[in-house]
This record gives sequence, structure tokens and C-alpha cells, in this order.
Amino acid sequence: MRYLSLLCFILIFYFPANSVAQGGHDTSTSLHIIFRNTANQKKIVLRDSIYVTPAGEKYTITKLKYYISNIRIGENILDEAHNFQLISEPADVSFNIPVTPGIYTEISFLLGIDSLYHCSGAQEGVLDPMNDMFWTWNSGYVMFKLEGSSENSKADKNRIEHHIGGYRNNQKIATPLTLSFKETLNIKIGEQKEITITADLDQYWNSKNKILIAEKPVCTLPGEIARTIAANFTMMFSINSVQ
Amino acid sequence: MKKSITILTSLAIICYCFIQAVKEDGFGPFQPSALSLEIPKGWPEPNNIFKKNKLTVEGFNVGRRLFYDPLLSKDSSISCASCHQQFAAFSTFDHDLSHGVANTFTTRNAPALFNIAWMKEMHWDGGINHLEVQPLAPLTNPNEMGSKIANIIQYLNDDTSYQRMFKAAFGDAKINSQRVLKALAQFTGSMISANSKYDKVKRGEASFSKIEERGYALFKKNCAACHAEPLFTDNSFRNNGQSLNRFKDYGRQMITGQSKDSLKFKVPSLRNVQVTAPYMHDGNMFGLPQVIEHYAKGIKTEQPTLDPLLKNRLEINNKELYDLMYFLFTLTDSSYLKDPRFSGRTSNVHNNHN
Repeated sequence: MRYLSLLCFILIFYFPANSVAQGGHDTSTSLHIIFRNTANQKKIVLRDSIYVTPAGEKYTITKLKYYISNIRIGENILDEAHNFQLISEPADVSFNIPVTPGIYTEISFLLGIDSLYHCSGAQEGVLDPMNDMFWTWNSGYVMFKLEGSSENSKADKNRIEHHIGGYRNNQKIATPLTLSFKETLNIKIGEQKEITITADLDQYWNSKNKILIAEKPVCTLPGEIARTIAANFTMMFSINSVQ
Repeated sequence: MKKSITILTSLAIICYCFIQAVKEDGFGPFQPSALSLEIPKGWPEPNNIFKKNKLTVEGFNVGRRLFYDPLLSKDSSISCASCHQQFAAFSTFDHDLSHGVANTFTTRNAPALFNIAWMKEMHWDGGINHLEVQPLAPLTNPNEMGSKIANIIQYLNDDTSYQRMFKAAFGDAKINSQRVLKALAQFTGSMISANSKYDKVKRGEASFSKIEERGYALFKKNCAACHAEPLFTDNSFRNNGQSLNRFKDYGRQMITGQSKDSLKFKVPSLRNVQVTAPYMHDGNMFGLPQVIEHYAKGIKTEQPTLDPLLKNRLEINNKELYDLMYFLFTLTDSSYLKDPRFSGRTSNVHNNHN
């Protein structure tokens, strides 16, 4: 009889416990983060719209993609699935992260990917090389990709092709950023809040360094030029709204 | 009572097993057979390439089939094995450069493949930082296999025999680039060549002839600093004094961006050197005598990045040249060149029991 009750015990408790474990933790309290990519104070539209750099060079954009990782808000530590995000115009410009209820004053993240992930073999998810953000001949991720065209570009087909990457010692471009909220953000249990982060391409062309399309239409290698351009990442991002 | 308890218990166990099996793949439990690398005695520890990629018979088999599958290329004409031929120790036999899709040529000589588990970086310029991501280069390069990763994944997912093999190797039939690359790494990372006459001599199973003995002494004096035993390479990057070629190939400098790395290329292993002609990063030297003569007469000593070890030219007479060559021939591992585990014929069996 003792065996029978033990058996019942196993049957009753093992299976439900297992299914709960698979159900995952409560993720209803979350933060929705939207990246609003702008140029000339307007949300960018691929192909059709013409923008002007602060130096007066007219250009169009055909592709804008970049990696965001190591997202930190308060003490929340994200799992790998949430930790890497590929922002890609026009479809993928926002994502949700689970957070614990609390009062927050800032958010920090890495523009790019930690050097470890550039040299640890084949990755999946947003780090899958199929996303066209991996250099096949010189292993490592392109962390910021801007493509378009401009009459100021002397490259083939007047193209602009900025593939910014590099993880080796003297080539690092991943940029840690911390953005403070204008007002504190109070997230209560079960609430979903939303923040919008603006990525301003005007700052990309001219903030810490002045980048002229006429001089640097193409950058598809890690190194000096990539680092000069990447220095402007620091000024590009700001919190636009919190709600 | 006792009997009914036994029956009940058995039923419960069967139920439990069935539920577990269904959870895993719907048919049976996932039980791949573990494989382990046989590290030759006295060799250094290889890189831990299978730490996050468990080496199994099933995974290895997927890798082998992919390696020999020309359908991975843009026009279904070229597989990895087209340029990495087993009888040439997985280099391209008798070709300075290899052929890509649509009558294109590569700009470098296809390196022989063996003992890759000991390499930190791959390619002549070391641009590849991990074995798993290496295949992305030849698969997508327009003058090699010219394919798109998305097309390859689509093709594999449309093939039920591949689905079965991936399921046996990884537990479910999901085929993504990560699994393709991990399977290929299981195959190529397992390629070990350590059964040449030289190895047999070291193991006490054979002995060198007089001429080989003399050649070995010459080798140790003049070559072993870079082509270090037992791998016959130190896997470093060095400028051995060749001119800049017609492709403006600056080698390692193109990866590091530093002028101190100008014209540096990876030191290739001398194992199986007898069957891997032509030589050098662009295959510009067709025979071993030509290579040895380069070190005696051909080095461009004016190059600022020339390896310090080559500042003094090799002094060697004709007789010694032959002694050295006869020693180099003892590095041919004929069992590796015919090993059925790495053969394309074996991979035509598309089940999991080959």
C-alpha cells in the first residue's frame, strides 16, 4: 500500500509541477522600448525621402540596422533571448523586456555586441549570420549598418555604405550608453510602460567628429575610419518620451 | 496485491517514458552516440572546440554529408570537397588557385585540412576566429560557392533526409545556420592526421633511413623554428619574403589593419606536404625544390616586415636539398588520405547507421 500511495504522489505532483515550470515566470510587468530613427527631425522613411547632413550633403537611406545589447534598467538582468536586439528599419524598431515593478531613473545599453560574442562560434536568433550582419571573411559582427546614396559620394552608383564594426583591441566600436529619464518612471505590478529612444542621424554625421559623405562614403572594414564614425554614437541617442 | 502494484508501477513507468519521448521528438528518445577526439600521444591539448558543440556520430555524419554536398553552392556545382580533396590531404590537387562557381577563380591556394582543432585562427590571413564560422566564407564568397545562407537553410529544410539526420544529431528537425555550422565543425574538427612514417618512428614502430635521418637533422636546424613539431607549424603569421602578388594580397594586414602585419601569412603545417603542391598562399611554387630554393636564394630581404628568422638565407647544397625532401616525404600520412570516416563515398549513405 505504501508503494501505491508513493506512486499516486508521483503521478499527482510530478506532472503538474513540470508543466508549471515550462510555463515560465510572470512577464506581464514589462517595458516596451521603441527606437525612433530620425534625420532632420523627421522619422526616417527608407528610399523615398531626401535628407540633408549638417554639412549640407543630400542623401537617401535604403537600409538602417543596428544591434542593441546588455540592456539594463535598474537591477533587471535579461536572459539571452531578450539581451540582444536587432533594430532594423522599417519593421523591427521596438521590443518588449520583462521588468520587476519599481521606480526607474535611467536605462543603459550597449550599442553593438560584447566582444565575446564575435569570437565564440556560430550563434542563433538575432545573432544568426543570416541577418546579414556578420563579416564572413573577417569574423565579427557589423554592429551598425547604414546604406543609401548621395550625389556627394564618389563611390560606385553614388552609394553610401557604412558597415561599422570591429571588436579587436585597437578596433573596438561597441559603445555603452546611459540615458536618463526626464521624470522618474514608475512601473507598477502588471503594468506595461513605454519609452521612446530617438536615434538622430544628424548627430551621426556631425557630433564628436564631422563625417562628410564626400570623404567617407564607404566604410566596410573595422579600423580607423570605423572608429572615427563610431565616436558619434555617443551623441546620437536620447530619450524622447516616457509613458 | 503485490502483483497489481507491480503492474501499476510498470504502467506508470511506461506512461512516463512515453510522455518524455513524445515531448522530445514525437517518436523516440533522443540518444546520439558520443564521439571523442583521439589526441595523439605527446601532442599539446587542442582547443576546446566541442565544449558547446557536443561531438556525436550523428552530428559528424551531418557534417560529412554537408561537406560533400554540391547543392549548397549557388549553381549546385561545387561542394567543400571540390577544393578540399581527400587524396590531396584536403587541399586542391595540382591547382595554384581553386575554381569557384561560374568559371571564377579564388585568389588564394586552398589550404590542406587536418589538425584544425589545434588552430586558433583559420585562413592564410587568420581572418576566421572560430572553426564554426569558417564555412560562411567559402559558402557565400562569389568566387567560391557563391551561395546565400538563407537559400542553403531553405534547401536543407525542404529535404526530409536532411531533416531526419539533423533530428538524430540535435534532437529535433530544426535546421538553422547554427546547426549547419556546428555539424560542419564536428566533421572538420575531427580531422586528425598523425600516422605518417615520422609518427611511427616517434612511436618506435619504424625507423628513418640514413638519408631521412640527415634530412631530419637539417629540418631541425633550419625549419623547425616555425614549422614546429609535432604539428609542424606554430600557427603564427610571418612574412617569408615573397613579393606582393597580382591580387595585392597583404595577408594578415588586411585583418588587423596594422602595417606591421604587411605580407604576413599563416605558417602552414608541413604534414602531408608531399601531396599538397602547389605551395604558398597563392600557390606560386609548384614543387618542393622550388620552395627550398626560395629560402636559399629568393627571399626579398628588403621587406621591412620580413621574419627575423629569415634575415640569413638558407645555406643548402644539392645533396642536402634531397636529404631534406626525403625527410619531408616521411610526413605523408597515407592512412589519412584514405580514411573512410572522411571519405565522400561514405557520406552517400543517408541514414544514421553508417
